[in-house]
Amino acid sequence: MVKKLTVVILAVLVSAMVFTQTITFWHTQVETDRQQRIRALAQIFEAQTGITVNLVPIEENEILEQIPRAVQAGTLPDVVEGGISPILLLGSQGFMDTELNAKIIEDFGDVYEGVSRLMQAPDGGYYGVPFHAWVQGIWYKANLFEERDLGAPTSWYNILTAAKALNDPANGFYGLILPKKADAYTEQVFSQIALSNGARPIDKDGNILFNTPEMIESFRFYKELGKYSRPGFTAVPEALNGYLNNEAAMVFYSTYIMDDIAVEEVQKNRVEHFDPKLVENTGFANFMVNIRPSSFGEVVGLGILNTSDNKDAAEQWVKFLMSGSNYIYWLHMAPGGMNPTRSSIAQMDEFLDNPVLERYGKDQITTIISALDTVERFEFMEGEIIEEMSILSGNFVIGRAINRMFANDWTPQQTAQWAQEEAERLLSD
Amino acid sequence: MQRFRELSPLKKKEATFGWKLVSPAVILIGLFIMYPVLYNIYLSFFEVSLTPGVPNKFVGFQNYRELLTDPTFWNSFGITMLFVLITVVGSILVGLGVALLMNKEFPGRGIVRALILFPYVAPVISTVFAWQYVLMPLNGPLTILLSNLGIMDVTKDLVNDPNNAFLVVSFYSIWKNFPFIYLMILSRLQSISQDYYEAADIDGANGWQKFRHITLPELYYVIGSLVLLRGIWNFYKFEEVYLLSKEARTLPIYLYEKAFTGLPELGVAAAIATVLFVVMMVLISIYVRKVLKW
Repeated sequence: MVKKLTVVILAVLVSAMVFTQTITFWHTQVETDRQQRIRALAQIFEAQTGITVNLVPIEENEILEQIPRAVQAGTLPDVVEGGISPILLLGSQGFMDTELNAKIIEDFGDVYEGVSRLMQAPDGGYYGVPFHAWVQGIWYKANLFEERDLGAPTSWYNILTAAKALNDPANGFYGLILPKKADAYTEQVFSQIALSNGARPIDKDGNILFNTPEMIESFRFYKELGKYSRPGFTAVPEALNGYLNNEAAMVFYSTYIMDDIAVEEVQKNRVEHFDPKLVENTGFANFMVNIRPSSFGEVVGLGILNTSDNKDAAEQWVKFLMSGSNYIYWLHMAPGGMNPTRSSIAQMDEFLDNPVLERYGKDQITTIISALDTVERFEFMEGEIIEEMSILSGNFVIGRAINRMFANDWTPQQTAQWAQEEAERLLSD
Repeated sequence: MQRFRELSPLKKKEATFGWKLVSPAVILIGLFIMYPVLYNIYLSFFEVSLTPGVPNKFVGFQNYRELLTDPTFWNSFGITMLFVLITVVGSILVGLGVALLMNKEFPGRGIVRALILFPYVAPVISTVFAWQYVLMPLNGPLTILLSNLGIMDVTKDLVNDPNNAFLVVSFYSIWKNFPFIYLMILSRLQSISQDYYEAADIDGANGWQKFRHITLPELYYVIGSLVLLRGIWNFYKFEEVYLLSKEARTLPIYLYEKAFTGLPELGVAAAIATVLFVVMMVLISIYVRKVLKW
């Protein structure tokens, strides 16, 4: 009897070990509450399919550094959730299963073209499946703009005029909050400014263009804005707190700011006092124009890797995450910050059924999502991917140039020259 | 020294037994220390491929040539040497001073002694965040204090200014590591016989003379060893520097960037590691002979 039982138990254990599949999933949602949601989704997925998902959270700024390390150690995941840069870096080195990612996009049939174009590979496939996206722009105190009769900060002229007019350092209030640290945030803000002036660091043929007049002009404008900005080199959390704390009239931020502005509990996590009027007093400029209009955003993709041994399981996981209530549950982690890339989901009432999204209303949400179709990035030009840009981003060339411009009081020309030489040095190897 | 063959059977058995006892340690050291070191040296002669299926390419001394002609490398090398000098001297002076103070009797000494250890035992990441917080422009408590004292402008962003990064990191490292020095020196101080001081008192020696001629000679070897240990640790120091400010471009940071950012050059990074290793070995062997008199 005991022998039989042992045999049965062994058989069950062995079969469980053979049939249990495990996939590794890298994601960039490191906040505790978001990790809880992802764990819950992984548990539901495991209950439904028997596939275990090994979750690995990685800080957004560090994912580019983790990739080569994992390549050497042979610990690359089966599926990665990450922004355009890491997905491109992996893709350009041949790590992405472009066919399978393309098949998933095709199976869904309703992924916005504007966002999937940003993940397209030269072979016609896709480096990743666009999962969620945000748009960056200027969030501003619309009531102050109205009082002073200032135009919405969508053009260089309007932005600078408003920054000058509203800057009041004697009372601890500044024209705007501008990042000047050597990090990704600075590069994102500068990207929008440069693109609206027609400036790009690298063109399609790989020419480095930091010392062009358009680029120098962009550095000049950035430095000019610095005069009216809140002191400090400023990272993301300080920028957010500064705006919520009523320390500045404008802040460059992504749509991730929406719940911080609208929800009392979220806002009180950041600052002491809740401002119930902040939603109605805040405007959003979702594009910028100097010689041409440009909007900036980030698409976060889900990419299945070539090196995966469990591609079926990986495909099931991606489809699970991007379907129905699972998808909505994920997007509601950061309402406004995470916008759906599938049109059918964007129109679902279930998606809009959320305290933050309700406060902004369907129209404003639609406007934000529609901006996704015109998002521009340094990594893309006329439908082509510029892979070298991910090296410059990984080394924070733009962030470091701006950081030095303010710290050493460099002229725009000096800054451009430094960035030019640094980029040439990095790309010459 | 006797040859193994010439030993008596009993001694032979003893020797074999001894080898058996140490073999696990020898094997483990071989596996976990010697292998990575040798593999690293091996890699430094290759252009390491990141694409699966493409083999590494042998390039001879190319990586070393590239490295030794790169001004960024020499710049980082100089910064690292300066960093080691400042932090070792600084933490030894602070540690010595605090140890001398804590060697005196006063009420509540036990608590103060324990509190002093805090910077050393607290996790690096939490102390880094604390430093970044207290030195924030406008709202940082230390910034406000320093500006009230008229030392610094309240709008100054000390930590994120690339021009200050090196100084901030050096100060942080001294603050973080002096308790280790203090602990070692204090334990040595407590074992110095009081008889010496009493004899000196009878001879009419003043405080400075007692320190110069009794305390310091007694501390010579412990300070010598501390300089060696802290020198080695700070020469390779990565996490403290990197977390507080990436702009303090010491060699380990330069190595990390070569190895792990953008499109990594692992061959060059391995060459840097090898150069660091050789420099360190030379410095240590000179130091051990001259200062510690081994």
